[in-house]
Amino acid sequence: MRSQAMFFQEQAAQKACDPQMQKTLAYVRPLFVGKRKKGLEGLAADGLGFEEMRVACQEIRDRVVDNLDVWLELFEARAQATGAKVLWARDGDEVARLLVDLARQHGVRKVVKSKSMLSEEADLNTAFAAAGIESIETDLGEYIIQLAGETPSHIIAPAVHKTKEEVADLFVAHHGLPRQSDITALAREARGVLRQHFLSADMGVSGANFLVAETGSAALVTNEGNGRMVTTLPRLHVVIAGIEKIIPNLQDLATLMRLLPRSATGQSISNYVSVLTARGGLALDSPVQGPEKIVFVLVDNGRADLLGGEFASMLRCIRCGACMNHCPVYTAIGGHAYGWVYPGPMGSVLTPLYTSLKTAQDLPQATTGCNQCGAVCPVGIPLPELMRALRRRTFEEGLRPWLERLGYKVWAWAACHPRFYHWGVRRAVRYLKWLAGGEAFIRVLGMAPGWTGGRDLKAPPGRSFQELWADRKNRG
Amino acid sequence: MTKQDNHAARAEIMARVRQRLAPVTAADADVRKAQAEEAIRAVARGPQPRMTGDLVERLLRKLEEMSCTTDRVARLNEVPRAVARYLAANSLGLSAVTSPPLASLEWENAGVSVAVRGAADADLVGLTDCFCAIAETGTLMLHSAPDLPPTLSLLPETHVAVVPLERIVPTMEEAFARFRAQFSDMPPAVNFISGPSRTADIEQTIVLGAHGPCRVHVVLVG
Repeated sequence: MRSQAMFFQEQAAQKACDPQMQKTLAYVRPLFVGKRKKGLEGLAADGLGFEEMRVACQEIRDRVVDNLDVWLELFEARAQATGAKVLWARDGDEVARLLVDLARQHGVRKVVKSKSMLSEEADLNTAFAAAGIESIETDLGEYIIQLAGETPSHIIAPAVHKTKEEVADLFVAHHGLPRQSDITALAREARGVLRQHFLSADMGVSGANFLVAETGSAALVTNEGNGRMVTTLPRLHVVIAGIEKIIPNLQDLATLMRLLPRSATGQSISNYVSVLTARGGLALDSPVQGPEKIVFVLVDNGRADLLGGEFASMLRCIRCGACMNHCPVYTAIGGHAYGWVYPGPMGSVLTPLYTSLKTAQDLPQATTGCNQCGAVCPVGIPLPELMRALRRRTFEEGLRPWLERLGYKVWAWAACHPRFYHWGVRRAVRYLKWLAGGEAFIRVLGMAPGWTGGRDLKAPPGRSFQELWADRKNRG
Repeated sequence: MTKQDNHAARAEIMARVRQRLAPVTAADADVRKAQAEEAIRAVARGPQPRMTGDLVERLLRKLEEMSCTTDRVARLNEVPRAVARYLAANSLGLSAVTSPPLASLEWENAGVSVAVRGAADADLVGLTDCFCAIAETGTLMLHSAPDLPPTLSLLPETHVAVVPLERIVPTMEEAFARFRAQFSDMPPAVNFISGPSRTADIEQTIVLGAHGPCRVHVVLVG
């Protein structure tokens, strides 16, 4: 997927004024937050605190990320020992090329996909379409946006921006069935249509929530059951996963499962957790049901460059979506404004690092610094710090406008020279008081009119805090 | 893509990973690999829930929280009649597909016709046992095997699972420990199932019966 992050400011402004988007966000905001809170209360009822679990989950992820070279070799060897094939992809284009080649080699005409954000990085559906291979998204949310020709606006709830009326319109246009008006009937209709695709597909493509080194398996966490369909019915199963997705063993999966669903949807566990392994010693004609072959595609696409540096902690991410669900910026503008695969705080860190800082530099600026994201992250990623580090890097690389850079330089010099600073502040507050012209609020800020475009600035008293403080002390 | 090309991709990615990690890893790769293998073998458990009260009651409560329905019989040979009652009460028809572990029960006497095979699209009821049931979350653990087709718990609209009391374990960790004790290799699929399939993708409204079963009925035995 080509990044559109350079249009973040325009897109954000547009989404902030879009009544439909605002209605949807106002509706889901308390749901997202409330569901997680309830999930954690269930954990506490069993005597487990969020902090205690978070430390455990972070340790599991760090153990692998800090020694990724050896874990990659271990996973590869163990997956191969079960009979799986392991391929490697340097970037999204290579992922798409490998999968199209695999489909051709195996005479595949139809592909069913369960939700994979990595496949969005690779723009996989476009590549399949160009090769004349039908590929169908089977997660209901992903299916809806595939029909609409859009991209996901949330990593867990991809179609959260769509109303049921819009979904009904799409289904009428694509299924040619009578219009359904309630949500249950719509879900039922999609079940019927997608069931036929599951049964007739030759290849299933899934992501992996985790790659289990112990057993050379993919662990997949879903609610709808589409993940199970995609990995059970077609004869070929291709797993695409980032190189950072490895966890050591099955006990670690059990630990992570106590926080992942709770952080994402508040569920104590997702409906389906599947551990999928190639057929090992089983003969091809063994009557066991399942794909004949599993291929793992391990993808870099910018991940390796984060290792060993100040952004390495981002590789712990388990894609739960809690950071965006709690972000005042995400819940004001929705996911599309971010312009690439990952929205919200984790996207504001990943998009500049995986695509380009130059085109995505506005993303890490879009933060209030409130640390809600950092506080809810189940693997302790210091998201506000990472966004701050990206802002520093943006400045150091000279990517910000020259006037802004000059402004920071002047401010930095002034802040290091207190006498000049206080002199400046005294002048500024008098100027602002004059600008208010006796009113309580300044309606248009002379030097920065954009700042007062949507709000008024309270008029200052005309004297600086230092002056008022000195007066008070003298009087006291 | 030729095989050669993918070797190049692997080499390039591994070289980049090693290069980035070099300044922050002290020990050499062989030592770290031995440590990693030790971490796999250690199967250390993370923080464990402190569950109070009876495991069976806990399981029943959690299954219901997961939108399962439950029933309990004293002996395995009472299962067919219990299943027949459930199917009749919910007008689900009296035929089911199942696998060898349950096929030998007296289904005919209970008026239920069972076929022993993997499930097809048209099958309405799938009947399975389970490897174990996890009380912490109300979760059934099923694995695939030549005589345990995973489609039984996936394609039919109704999944009926039979759980003998001795198969109840407190946690997923305990379930894996039992699995390791019994099997040396992983089967193609280990599925943890917690209630009927569901989606909240349209307006965040939960609908039961997304792609998998719409109903999960659990019969405890013992």
